[in-house]
Amino acid sequence: MFDNNVFIENSCKNFELDGKVAGFELKTNITYYRSIPLSMVNDIRVQVDGEEVPRESILCSVDEIDWFTLDEMETVTTYKWEYGEPLIIRVQKEGGLTKGTHEVGLDVITRTAYIPVPLAGRKVRTVEIA
Amino acid sequence: MSKIKTCVSLYSLQDEYLNKRMNLEDIFKFLAENSVEGIEILPDQMLHNTPHPSEETLAEWDRLVNTYKLKPVCADVFLNTNLYKNRELTKRECVDLLIDEIKLANRLGIRLIRLVSMVPAFVIEPLISYCEKYDVTIALEIHAGLAFDVPKTQEFIDEMRRVNSPYVGLVIDTGIFCRRLPRVMANYCKHLGTNQKVIDYINDIFAKGSDPRKVYLENCGNFPEDLKKLVKNDADLFFAQFADGYENLPYSVLDEYMPYIKHFHFKLFEMTETGEEYSMNFKEILQYLHEKGYEGYVSTEYEGNRWVLPGHPMVEKEQVIAHQKLLHKCIKELESLEV
Repeated sequence: MFDNNVFIENSCKNFELDGKVAGFELKTNITYYRSIPLSMVNDIRVQVDGEEVPRESILCSVDEIDWFTLDEMETVTTYKWEYGEPLIIRVQKEGGLTKGTHEVGLDVITRTAYIPVPLAGRKVRTVEIA
Repeated sequence: MSKIKTCVSLYSLQDEYLNKRMNLEDIFKFLAENSVEGIEILPDQMLHNTPHPSEETLAEWDRLVNTYKLKPVCADVFLNTNLYKNRELTKRECVDLLIDEIKLANRLGIRLIRLVSMVPAFVIEPLISYCEKYDVTIALEIHAGLAFDVPKTQEFIDEMRRVNSPYVGLVIDTGIFCRRLPRVMANYCKHLGTNQKVIDYINDIFAKGSDPRKVYLENCGNFPEDLKKLVKNDADLFFAQFADGYENLPYSVLDEYMPYIKHFHFKLFEMTETGEEYSMNFKEILQYLHEKGYEGYVSTEYEGNRWVLPGHPMVEKEQVIAHQKLLHKCIKELESLEV
C-alpha cells in the first residue's frame, strides 16, 4: 500500500568519512501518511544482491547530524521522521558498494497509531555505482 | 436553507505533498481558486514537529489562512499509544500528549479535533477541562472496520454519553456506507496477484446487501469455508482481509448518534465519469443528514490515492474537485426542494 514511498530513486550512493569510503547510504519516504517519532520505526532491513546486511551496521538520521543505530532508535522520541522528508539510512561497510550494478532491497516497517500490525513497505532498485 | 457546509481534508492531496509537486501554500491556493470554503488538516502530516511546531511554521500557517481565507475546521489527531516498542503508554502519558494537541488546535484557530479510532475512553474525563479552556471539541472517528461493533469504540461512546459534555462527540466516516467495494482497491489488488474469483466473491457479498466484515463476524471472525477455498496466495489473503475495512450499513445506524455527531468525513475512493462516487451514494447521505437537521461540515476525504497503480498518474486534484462539485450540486437540490 505504501510501497511507492519506499527507497527514493537515485538516492543510493557511497559515502566518505575522513577521506575514506565508509559505506553506502540511501533515502526513503515514510510507509505511512503522517510523521512519527523515530521510536516508532519498527525495523529497517537492507539487502545487497540478495544478501541481508548486518542489522548493527545500519545507522539512521533525519537531519544528517545525529545518527542512531536501530537499537538506539527505539528510545528516540523527540526526533520526528516528517511526512514528505526522507529518512537517511547508512550501511557502514568499508569500501562501500563495489563499482558496477547492484540489486539493493529496502524494507521499511513502521508502527502506526491504531493499526494492530506494523505497516511494511518494500522496494528493490537496480543501483549503478560509478 | 441547508445548514450543511463543506470542506476539504488536505489528506486528499497527500501524494502531491509527499512528492513535492505541491507545498502547503500551493494546496491552499488550489483550494481557494476552486471556491472551497474550509479545510481539515492532519497536523502530523503537514506541520513539522507537531504538536510543537516552530514559530516560523505557525507564522506561515497564519499567513496562509489569512491570505487564502479558508476556514480551518478540523484537526485530525493521532495518539501514539505504541510510541515505545516494549510497552504501551500509561494513561497519564496518553492524556498529556492529547493536551498538547488541544493547545495546538487552539493556536491554529481550529475548534474541533478528530481523534483517531481506538483512542481509549479513559482520556475523555481528564481532557474536558482543557477542551473547555481552549474551546476545542474532541470527537472520535467512527471508521469502517473500527466502527460500532468494535468494543473500544463502544466503550468510548458509553463514556461520551456518561460524561455528556458538548465538547465530546463523534466524527463519522462515510466508508461505513459502501454499497459496492471500491473498484480501485480491487484493481490494485488484482495487479498484486489477487484472483478474480476472490474479488467476485467479495463483490457478491455487497450485491446481497451485506459486507465482508459482517460475513466474517458471523463466522466467528474467520473467512467462510467457500472463501477459504478460493484464497490461494498472499495477494488473495491481503485483499480478503483488507475488504473488511468497507462496511455496508443502513443510514439509520446514525439515528441514535445524531446529537453527538460533530463532523463527517465524506470519504471517496473514485469519482466516476458520471460525476458520482463508485461506492457511496452522497445524494442519499446528504438527504438523510438534511432530514435530520445536521448543521456541521462534511469534509471531502479522498483515499483512492493509495490504490493508484504504479506508473499511473495521480489524480488527487481532479478527484477532489469532482467530489466537491457533486456535494454542492446535492446540497443545492436539497435547498431548492424547500421553497
